[in-house]
Amino acid sequence: MKRQTRCDGLSRRELVRVGGLSALGLGLGQFLALQKACAGEQASTPKAKSCILIWLDGGPSHLETLDPKPDAPEEVRGPLGTVATNLAGIRLSECLERTAGMMDKLAVIRSMTSPLGEHNFGTHYLMTGYKPSPALEYPTMGATVAQKRSNSNLLPPNIAVPNLSSNVSGHGYLPPATAPFEVGGNPASPGFKVRDLDFYQGLNLERIDRRREIVRAFDQFSRSADVNPLAADPTLEQAYNLIASADAKTAFDLFDENAGVRERYGRNGANGLGQSCLLARRLVERGVPFVTVTSNGWDSHQNILQLKERYPNDPNAHLPTLDRALSALIEDLSERGMLDETLVVVMGEFGRTPKMNTFGGRDHWPNVFSIALAGGGVRGGQIIGSSDALGELPKDRPVSPSDLAATIFSLLGIDPAGELHTSDGRPVRITPDGSNVITEIIA
Amino acid sequence: MKAGNVGNAMQTLIRSLTLILAINSLGFAEEQISRVEFENDLVPLLTRHGCNAGACHGAAIGRGGFRLSLYGGDPKADYAAIVRQIRGRRVNLARPEESLIVLKPSEQVEHGGGAVFDDDGPSAQLLLDWIRQGASDESTRQLERVVVTPAQHLANELGVPIQLQTVAHYSDGSQRDVTPWAVFSPEDDSAVEVDEQTFQARLLRRGRHIVVARYLTKVVPVELIVPLADSQVDLASEQQNNFVDGEILASLAKLGLQPSAGIDDAAFLRRLSLDLTGRLPSVELRQQFVDNRQADKRAALVDELLGSEAFNEYWTYQLAKLLRIRPQRNGDDTGVQVYHRWLKEQVVDGASYQQIARDLIMATGDTHELGPPNFHLVPSGPREEAEFVSELFMGSRMRCANCHNHPLDRWTQDDYHGLAAIFAKIGRGRTIQEDPGGETIHPRTREPAVQRIPGEAFLSDDATAGRLQFSQWLTAEDNPYFAKAIVNRLWQRMMGRGLVEPVDDFRDTNPATHPALLDQLAEDFVANGYRIRHTLRVIANSEAYARSATASLHNKNDDRFYSRRLRQPLEPEVLADAISDVLELPDKYGGEPIGTRAVALVNPTTPSQTLDVLGRCGREESCEPSAGAVGGLSKKLHLMNGPLLNARIAVEGSRLHRLLREERKPLEIIEEFYLVALSRMPSQLEHDHWVKQLKTVSDPPAFLEDFVWALMSSDEFVTNH
Repeated sequence: MKRQTRCDGLSRRELVRVGGLSALGLGLGQFLALQKACAGEQASTPKAKSCILIWLDGGPSHLETLDPKPDAPEEVRGPLGTVATNLAGIRLSECLERTAGMMDKLAVIRSMTSPLGEHNFGTHYLMTGYKPSPALEYPTMGATVAQKRSNSNLLPPNIAVPNLSSNVSGHGYLPPATAPFEVGGNPASPGFKVRDLDFYQGLNLERIDRRREIVRAFDQFSRSADVNPLAADPTLEQAYNLIASADAKTAFDLFDENAGVRERYGRNGANGLGQSCLLARRLVERGVPFVTVTSNGWDSHQNILQLKERYPNDPNAHLPTLDRALSALIEDLSERGMLDETLVVVMGEFGRTPKMNTFGGRDHWPNVFSIALAGGGVRGGQIIGSSDALGELPKDRPVSPSDLAATIFSLLGIDPAGELHTSDGRPVRITPDGSNVITEIIA
Repeated sequence: MKAGNVGNAMQTLIRSLTLILAINSLGFAEEQISRVEFENDLVPLLTRHGCNAGACHGAAIGRGGFRLSLYGGDPKADYAAIVRQIRGRRVNLARPEESLIVLKPSEQVEHGGGAVFDDDGPSAQLLLDWIRQGASDESTRQLERVVVTPAQHLANELGVPIQLQTVAHYSDGSQRDVTPWAVFSPEDDSAVEVDEQTFQARLLRRGRHIVVARYLTKVVPVELIVPLADSQVDLASEQQNNFVDGEILASLAKLGLQPSAGIDDAAFLRRLSLDLTGRLPSVELRQQFVDNRQADKRAALVDELLGSEAFNEYWTYQLAKLLRIRPQRNGDDTGVQVYHRWLKEQVVDGASYQQIARDLIMATGDTHELGPPNFHLVPSGPREEAEFVSELFMGSRMRCANCHNHPLDRWTQDDYHGLAAIFAKIGRGRTIQEDPGGETIHPRTREPAVQRIPGEAFLSDDATAGRLQFSQWLTAEDNPYFAKAIVNRLWQRMMGRGLVEPVDDFRDTNPATHPALLDQLAEDFVANGYRIRHTLRVIANSEAYARSATASLHNKNDDRFYSRRLRQPLEPEVLADAISDVLELPDKYGGEPIGTRAVALVNPTTPSQTLDVLGRCGREESCEPSAGAVGGLSKKLHLMNGPLLNARIAVEGSRLHRLLREERKPLEIIEEFYLVALSRMPSQLEHDHWVKQLKTVSDPPAFLEDFVWALMSSDEFVTNH
């Protein structure tokens, strides 16, 4: 239960309070009101049934991934080279060679921009589409999808592999049942198994069902006089459904995949990112609408070269692992005819300082950074926006995390201007007023 | 510039002779601004239009190459940014209309933030006047305070406009209506709306809501209330046991809230026992208490529990959480044992909390020999200690003030780094000692920060006496934070919600729900020797404490005025102990002897899957707020299929195993579990229900196992209510 502490030592609770500063921000109101726009008015038919969010926790460097600056001075360019992609004139970091070969399937936004350069705030903004506010904790996109999609499936609608960043609660103001189910463990470990899915010795479904009924009876009796009834515990129902279905359990069984496929995704590195992506594919294949794959360790304050190799010919440093996992996922989805209906998003909470620091690393930089999307109705083979020569600020087409959220929801067929409700009935827009769908990204 | 200054002096002289008084639309006498002052007139303008907000130029790195201090916290830097930077192009004295500071926000040239005001509006006019008058940074008076009226307003219905007015009071005795330049931000904008033209507030939802008014560096909360119910309530006949009840009933009357009824003796016993001792009452104690016919038996019970060993153990655990007692980063836990033992002694002796605080702050010596010096090893350095100490003893979050003056509170960067400078003079190692040369760098001045008592005064630089002065100031009787911070925490533990919530976020803009009650509790605490037991007793003896948790139609929406008991989930350690007690089977915690209770664990990282699943606090940071619903499904799966409950319910040595071996009837067994876990007998309805169930059951032992499992998962068991 150890809470993860970042380089700045803040955790979610500070976020909730301190976040109020920007919530008091004023003046932009009128400006945004003018733009209050057509965030959900695009009427294109959504193609994406599911979304796999590959979350690079800590904030991946844009300069070492999707937006290298080979012509910049050395202290900005960094120690890594670049590689040509199958898109004329577009280069990626040398470590993303396989990904570079499928740029025709990817849309890369190089002009993401946010004012929030701190892990908690940034994570909250990118994952929810809202800047943090002290008055209300917003749900992550996965929770919103879980809330909006009727769940005909026994599997939880929102799953995190192996877990969700500790910087967000997940469900925000939505019911806790929309929070991601965290499978836990390391999918790359040889004995990987989702804990507690199998019956405890001596138990069977009938017994579990009876236990559930008795809990219901207790809860009804104890609140019989109370006008605020205790709703049936949705996590109890969910847990029951999961345990009750053999099919649901198979979904988590990576040993069901042949060894070749498992190799292709990569067995090691970046907290099992490869096998996590494979598990994500198995889950969306079975109709799970939102899967977050988390890879830790992208907070590169020191020696950025470690992303490429921690020792000579290291095959499992973060960048080669990401390259292998991402390319395998896109290829696999494509071969199975699932890419069109599966949106893949790769992002973290911000970019890194263009100028290297004295430790050979890069610090937090939200002013401009890059993210990638593929499949799910995204028109691949395009770069959206650009950063300036030093990778400091957007040069054109700035895109905010709110815009990105509006775009992801649109691709998933959820109106970003639609409303959700807090527990006390207050309506809240799915993405903030003034967020705009990136129309050119939609095929 | 020299000539300009002379000119300014002249203007000031003339101005002082020609003060014009006018009556504005609000009927308030107001002087016309004849001379525009940067700090008093332009900074509010920048705030009003959001220019210096965190999302715009107030960001730490500025915006578009132009950086302002957040909400105008540093006017000198702002003046330099506007007048001096980019070779003065932002201000054009020769042609004021061509100053970028006017052209940009009125979008006569491209501006990333769009048009913020009209080029012929009052804001542009004010800027132009200032530039025409020489763009001086001189101020003739200083803002002392801001008064917003009404400070509190009780409206009878929703939607009625409430006129807000902001008056600035200056050092020279003058005052001015600055309403148009104040910024009003509702804490919850779905509950209150403030019209930006008329400065009228309108309540959209019932309840008590806060609007924060900001003018220059001052922030003032305004409290707006619409009763939660339309009907009047008559609370004259409600019992009042002490001053707590007077205050609680007064606010219930104001809000039109009908309190829930009082609870019966058994429910009172379970509640009090969990709150004071962290454990369920035994069946025997329950029987004695219910049978007791003494009129004052509840007060007697409060005293009995306050004097018990279980109280010492549980409240040591509470304070250990507050003090974040945990092993060193290097894994050394010798000090922790010593520290915990010392803390327990303080609780047993009923030491004054004032003395405890002094001992901790002033502590020096070997952390393996003495308890208190370990206090200084909890935070990793002076800045962390400043944050830790202010959260702990002042209920204040100074963290924001590390990088900039706190925009919602009184704290400045000088306060933060000044307090850190005091703690920088502590040498940290196995032995805590004075380190006269220790210092910490102030990020703004890039010089060693000057020791400072927050919000008060800088200390002379010479000595190590800073810690003593801080400790004396903090624990003085008239300190505005110390007593309130702790009584509010005690109140929260007993009542389910702090009068100020979160309990470590006291600030003017986060007022208490019952300010007078908080004051009285604090005064009473001080007057009674800073004794924790005393204040717990006062709260436990109040009628408010003994109200039912059952919501009625009249108070179902109340979550903070104590018209009914707020149900509180049992803390992970308390729940673990309760499970063990009900099952009659102790849990195993690392290498601790069998029978060790979870609340008695000294080390919060003692291996325990139970506590991990239940979500214990590792004390790396503050344990407020307690763990949420994160991992709900995983936890539920574990409870269903993991060993935590399954391996213990019917195993040899467990209560169920014993009762079955004694061949007790299933219904008797059910009743015993009701008594142990819920401190009550089944109701008639429940009784009938179980009788009916048992008739259909072919495998009574398995059914009872399922019954016990479900009981452990029921809301009534896992909460204090």
